Amino acid sequence: MKVEAIEYGDRKVFSVGAFNRGVASWLQRLPTVWVEGEVTELRRSERWASVFFTLKDPQDGSCLGVSMARGQFDALRLELADGDRVHAYGRPELFEARGEFRLRVLSLERFGLGEHLAALERLKAKLAAEGLFAAERKRPLPLLPARIGLVTGNDAAAKSDVLTAVTTRFPPANVLVAETYVQGPRAAGAVVEALRALCREGVDVVVVARGGGSFEDLLPFSDERLVRAIADCPVPVVSAVGHEQDTPLCDLAADVRASTPSVAGRLVVPDLAQLLERLDRSRAGLERGTRRSLERERRRLDGTHERLARAPRLLLERRRAKLEQSAGRLRTLSPKATLERGYAIVRATDGIVRSGGAVEPGDRVDVELAEGGFGARVEDTR
Amino acid sequence: MTFEEAQRELEEIVHRLESGDTSLDEALKLWERGEELYRFCKERLDTAEGKIEELAGRANAAKP
Repeated sequence: MKVEAIEYGDRKVFSVGAFNRGVASWLQRLPTVWVEGEVTELRRSERWASVFFTLKDPQDGSCLGVSMARGQFDALRLELADGDRVHAYGRPELFEARGEFRLRVLSLERFGLGEHLAALERLKAKLAAEGLFAAERKRPLPLLPARIGLVTGNDAAAKSDVLTAVTTRFPPANVLVAETYVQGPRAAGAVVEALRALCREGVDVVVVARGGGSFEDLLPFSDERLVRAIADCPVPVVSAVGHEQDTPLCDLAADVRASTPSVAGRLVVPDLAQLLERLDRSRAGLERGTRRSLERERRRLDGTHERLARAPRLLLERRRAKLEQSAGRLRTLSPKATLERGYAIVRATDGIVRSGGAVEPGDRVDVELAEGGFGARVEDTR
Repeated sequence: MTFEEAQRELEEIVHRLESGDTSLDEALKLWERGEELYRFCKERLDTAEGKIEELAGRANAAKP
């Protein structure tokens, strides 16, 4: 059908029908897409060729009119009730007779918790395959962060839990808090932006904290953008989102996962009292070690000195021992031992008699034996 | 140097001194270095400000 304008002078004017037809034909150029929303105001009548309902965005309440061929709708047997979430595959169209814009649906699928979980599992598998959750990617937390970034909602429970835990353990802590949306369609983008803003400001570690909530409340923390931003964060991230049993994907990408915001707070700061005690112990050890080293050197010097003092006496004793040894050898050389075997020494006035010719008969000689001796007179000589 | 590096070095020095296989000159040098590290760590703890800031407040304050 042609869309023709009537001309009034230099003004082109369309009839309502022509306008609607024009818009309708332009809309037909748009592609067929999937739209997710909650079903409300479902209207179905045997007299109508189509069923009608409104798709509502659960996050911000935006509405979209929908129509679907009744035969197709009935064949799906979805038995939809108000509030059920669906994925609708269709094309935008204009109902020309009324100038109403709506989505003409060709296919409709119920989308519930199960589908959410399946989508989450697919994303998890994809990110895991990329190595985003790998253990070797995890960075250690700084022992003493100069400044801690905290991303949290403004409703406070999680925020005050983290702050209380941090300041109790380490009173001089320096925390930069970024309050942001932690729920709803803007949450994922807002948390990503908060993370970046904190890193720009300069923090050593970031805590992302959010209290418990429904599965859907926590969904932004499994958003691909958010998970990637946490993995790419230039400083280590501690994730404390939801309760122990919830595992949003951001927990897997974070460097450390804390079961609660309080635990996260305790993880990012050292215990000041313990730190001071450890430092004092080190210092005491330093003094003790140095003193010990000094004392060891002194003892060594004392020992050397003592040995020095002992040296002359040692020398004397060694000489004396040598002397005793000589005396012993001298004694074994004396004739005493020979006399013991029955020999005798005969002395005349000229000394020891070694031959018969040295004496004359009638000479007086002295005979020395092993035990005592006697005087004698020479009878004859040979 | 970070606090952790300083603390680790300090504790290694104490360990070496306590193991007692250092010469006197070395021991004195280690002791001096150890004291320096101790002062560094202590100062880091003593000078921490202990403040909680709101990023939004800072951003607003930065605007004219």
